[in-house]
Amino acid sequence: MGKSSKDKRDIYYRRAKEQGWRARSAFKLLQLNEEFQLFKDIKRVVDLCAAPGSWSQVLSRELFENQNHSDAKIVAVDLQPMTPIEGVTTIQADITHPKTLQTILDIFGGEPADFVCSDGAPDVTGLHDLDEYIQAQLILSALQLTTCILKPGGSFVAKIFRGRDIDLLYSQLSYLFERVICAKPRSSRGTSLEAFIVCMGYKPRPGWNPKLELNKSTEEFFEDSNIGKSYNLEHFELPDPEERKIAKFIACGDLQDGDSDATYTLDNDSKIGALDPVQMPTAPPYKKALEMKRRGDLVRR
Amino acid sequence: MTSEVGFNPVSSINEEEFHALKHYGPVTSLKIHENYILAGNGSILKVFKIEKNEKTRVVYSERVLKRNKIHSIVISSEGKVCISGGRSFAMINFADLISNKQFAVIERAINEWIITTEFLNENTLLILNSHNTIYKIDIINNFKLIDKIHCNEKSILYSGSIRKINENKIIIAAGTVMNGCIIWELNSRTMLHNLTDHEGSIFGVKIDNKGQYIISCSDDRSIKLYDFQSGNLLASGWGHGSRIWNLEFFQDTSNGFKIMSAGEDCTMRIWQYLPNQDILQQLQLWEDCHRGKHIWSADIDDINLKLCVSGGADGKIRLHDLSNRGKLNNYTLNYLSQQANISFKKNEIIKSFVELQSLGLLIIITSGGHIILFDQESHQFKSLELSSDESNKFEGFGLMQSFNDINVVAVSSIHGEILILEFTSFNIPPKKTWINNDILGKNKVTNFMAQCIGDTYYLFIDCPNSKIPFILKTFKYNSQGFQLENTLLLEQPQQTSFTTTDMSIDLKNNWLIVASRYVSLAIYDLNSTERLIPLSKLHKKISAGDSITSISIIESSIPQEIILLTIVRDGIYMYIRINETFDINIIHKNNISRGFIEGGYIDNNNELILYGFKSSSFYIWNETKQIELTNVLCGGANRLWKVIKYNEDQHQMIDYKFLFINKSELNIFTFQGRFIKDNYGLINEGTHGREIRDVTISPELLSDNSRLIMTASEDTTLNLSKLLCDGSIKNIWNLNRHVSGLQKIKFFNNKYIGSSAANEEFFIWKIEMINNNPVIREYSRLQPSNDNPDVRIMDFDSIPYYNGLLIATAYSNSDIKVWYFDINNAKFQLICQGTYSTFCILNITMLQIDNHYFIQIGSTDGYLTIYDISQSIGLSSPVRTISQMIIKQKLHQNALKAIYIKPINSYTFKVFTGGDDNALILGELVYNQSNESLQFNILSFIEDAASSTITSISNYDDNTIIVTSVDQIIRKWIHTNNELQCLAATYTTVADTGCCDTTTFNDQSITVIGGAGLSTWK
Repeated sequence: MGKSSKDKRDIYYRRAKEQGWRARSAFKLLQLNEEFQLFKDIKRVVDLCAAPGSWSQVLSRELFENQNHSDAKIVAVDLQPMTPIEGVTTIQADITHPKTLQTILDIFGGEPADFVCSDGAPDVTGLHDLDEYIQAQLILSALQLTTCILKPGGSFVAKIFRGRDIDLLYSQLSYLFERVICAKPRSSRGTSLEAFIVCMGYKPRPGWNPKLELNKSTEEFFEDSNIGKSYNLEHFELPDPEERKIAKFIACGDLQDGDSDATYTLDNDSKIGALDPVQMPTAPPYKKALEMKRRGDLVRR
Repeated sequence: MTSEVGFNPVSSINEEEFHALKHYGPVTSLKIHENYILAGNGSILKVFKIEKNEKTRVVYSERVLKRNKIHSIVISSEGKVCISGGRSFAMINFADLISNKQFAVIERAINEWIITTEFLNENTLLILNSHNTIYKIDIINNFKLIDKIHCNEKSILYSGSIRKINENKIIIAAGTVMNGCIIWELNSRTMLHNLTDHEGSIFGVKIDNKGQYIISCSDDRSIKLYDFQSGNLLASGWGHGSRIWNLEFFQDTSNGFKIMSAGEDCTMRIWQYLPNQDILQQLQLWEDCHRGKHIWSADIDDINLKLCVSGGADGKIRLHDLSNRGKLNNYTLNYLSQQANISFKKNEIIKSFVELQSLGLLIIITSGGHIILFDQESHQFKSLELSSDESNKFEGFGLMQSFNDINVVAVSSIHGEILILEFTSFNIPPKKTWINNDILGKNKVTNFMAQCIGDTYYLFIDCPNSKIPFILKTFKYNSQGFQLENTLLLEQPQQTSFTTTDMSIDLKNNWLIVASRYVSLAIYDLNSTERLIPLSKLHKKISAGDSITSISIIESSIPQEIILLTIVRDGIYMYIRINETFDINIIHKNNISRGFIEGGYIDNNNELILYGFKSSSFYIWNETKQIELTNVLCGGANRLWKVIKYNEDQHQMIDYKFLFINKSELNIFTFQGRFIKDNYGLINEGTHGREIRDVTISPELLSDNSRLIMTASEDTTLNLSKLLCDGSIKNIWNLNRHVSGLQKIKFFNNKYIGSSAANEEFFIWKIEMINNNPVIREYSRLQPSNDNPDVRIMDFDSIPYYNGLLIATAYSNSDIKVWYFDINNAKFQLICQGTYSTFCILNITMLQIDNHYFIQIGSTDGYLTIYDISQSIGLSSPVRTISQMIIKQKLHQNALKAIYIKPINSYTFKVFTGGDDNALILGELVYNQSNESLQFNILSFIEDAASSTITSISNYDDNTIIVTSVDQIIRKWIHTNNELQCLAATYTTVADTGCCDTTTFNDQSITVIGGAGLSTWK
């Protein structure tokens, strides 16, 4: 797909370029906020898996420009380097590492976070069960940091794929938050399994002291949390049934905002023409293979 | 939602109500063990036996895991099998698997994803989980955990393996998501190496059984080979076009150290490490091993079976030969002249050759007029004795044909004189007969063709002067030898460019069909008694393309009607029906995307085999099974080549021979495939290689108790298959005419099918049956509304109208169009159009009630909208506007994804809708005759009818419907008393569950579910 056909195929893709967002996903957070007022009274925010940074851009504009919280603190964490964003502290780090947690806490002056979000997703392989598992691991990684840093009553938002075991996650989250909602912003394509888990009203598990430690897997981290996860049984019997729940579904974003599945006609008079993307894609792992192919170094036989 | 402990009430209900019949989907693991192949086909474990006579047999096929797919299979030295996948694992005795007896499999689980397992000894199992931790389990004492072992590095893993060098030295190779490969030792719990040469995730890492090497593959499309002791990178292998999923070692290292790889690009490759070279040498490349994308699993046995096996996202399991039975021999002209003891002139080249298979003889003619015999068994050459007068006739020109069953070779000179050579062996000189030609005069022969039909042998001569007739000579073979019987003269088509390329004679009707360049066919009735047989009919340019390369009659059972397999070089093949007035009708047309097709035939299993050139190689391709049989580098499309199919009854161990001239040298490629007679090495049938977007089943029950079924995939292909009453699906045609991702496919009736896609593609297909087997062609296509179409046609529906159909199409830009499709002339006429809003329309249905016509649409905003289009319909008026919106009701919070309308009587309909919001709704449409109005009422609303998007609804029987959703649960809902109630819910291994259709066989409903694979249920 060329630049202009993507513009027509996706109204949000074009609008993101026009408004200077690094990615169209900015609209997803904006629409989630419209529905759930996530940004109300927040000053300390953690954006996990933040690259290229469109959610941090949204948070920065919202907290500093719209709400004028000059003392607000936004920390964006990613393994990938990120172009700096006004008012946002970017950390290139692993979200499962205790040091990362400490760095964020230091920036917050020891105060807990009001809001933690994650728009992270792994590169999919195409094996649905594996991809859903890895995504679930990413959410649990974000969640373990969240349980260490989020204030009671705070909110957590993360990208999910609504695949076969999503009801397990809904059930586990419902132990940790007052409200757990599966939200689908209009800007998220209907053809994609993507949705967002919006968890509000964090209620720390009584008697559980979450602690990030090196060499603790996510499963081990939540071992004593009693959130209804099934654990190894004595003789490794298959846990059946497992605790599963269906979270309430809420579509968000104004219907007039536009439909990410619809094809729009570009205004022919528009002088803008096809816009260049705001943030060029980062170097993929297969960059060297591409270069070799271009040079003709990949001998077919 | 409250925070109470709870269980999803619609994830598992009366599971025994559903019977899984057949499953076609990703093959996630493969293991060769002795003469058996164990395969994880989703959650089904299959065991195939490789028999001695190049045959294969399924000995076991059962669903052994409840939900999880089998990602790993390991076998202990005493025959214990551990299968694992997701969080599950199970132990099975190999002896039970091949015993033909019933036995139960107990599924067990740990609380994390299992990467792989290995037997420490017969009593102890090691499980590597996705956090780089080993579970050591006592499998004799009721699966007691002995220990949990890690190396203090719990990175999340994509891949890994356990290498038992001996019972005291166990090495774990862990492929992490982002931290390279971690190699550690179990007993000491210490990390030996962290190999970080790859970019991105590691999808495979293994250690050879001697503990000398480590191999790994990744996101970065490279293979890395390390020295185990030092951890030093020895070499990298580059070549895969996308991610690499699998690596295996060759066991036999006597000819160097070799590796097999397979990946996302559907290629398998064999690599060799040459010491002190930092690049792995690619020895073999097998392309297009599977359809679509991904070889998910592979294994190798280079010692005993000499096979590789591959499993794809397409559900196929294929065997690939490692014994190298394909052999290429090359002979220079110099060698030929020395061996035959003749001296070639400067620039003398080979002009033509034929092979007499039963004698093992190759006969070659050169531009110098030499005829050389080559005994392929003894490797002897000799020159055929010709007088100088004879030799001169072939100076610079000689075309050869042969009749293999009688060992007769015919050579034509430039002016059409024919030398007949009757061979008995290499050593006995052939009987020579000359047949003069008094018709051609000074004209030159351009084509010389031969065919044997029944007991008659035909030779055909073509010259470019259209005033000179074609010459067809008929021969008989009897005790006196090869005898000329008759010479027929045929009127040439009076046009300048009728260059013949192939011919076919139909014995039953005594017709001759001649094919030519510019995709033209000439038909002659040989029953004519005229001196110059007139041209019965000429069909010019019957399809796009340059030249017909091959024609063959595949059916002439009905008098005066034949079916001709016609192949066009540009990648098109057709079935053409010729009727008694010599008119033609293309009843099947398809294209392949693999270069040029030079010919093809239908094999003994009724499968279509095609061959031709693709870039610099020659291929033989099974179109029915969609697999390549062989492929030989030949320098690209050659002018002079021949492919010979060896019959089963011939004693040679050859399936095909491909002869070609490259750089003026003679090349002979002999190919003996394996399992050719059995299944061409395709031991498990599959389906599309990408997600299936829609499925439709024919309303007609065929006489063999099957129904036609069509599937549409996101990779732009359509499949036409047969659905049998046991739920199995037998693929017949794979159609490549769409160029963009499919949206919907639907049978209008038993003959016509519609399919819609992005880029405004909407095709109507026509099916005809030949001996209970379908053929299909694109019957008509809708012209896009502009040159640069970018809207998707999301759905369509039809109702019968006059001599055709009213067809409503719904678009991603919110447009609705209604067409009249005239079945007789295959033309579309736009009747009326309208625009719903700016929302993408997802589905459209049509209803006719008395004389009223209604359209129902469901859209991404969650509304059901109904238009009365009765006033907008008429064939004679200009295009009208759809404006009469009579019902607009918000049913779902987000996209209305699925709709099914069930007629209760002429005026009442039940409407079922499912949404992105997990909700299922039963509504009722009632038509009031007195005021001619339509009313919609919601009868039942289930908010949490699924834990994820509902994607399709189909009618199961009078009282129940089947609903699919992306949570991979299929549910049966009963709707009597105008209330929805979930009767049954069970898990399906088909991920991305997106479509379903239901039919009946002998009153038994069978449902077909599509997504990342296909499954059938009753």
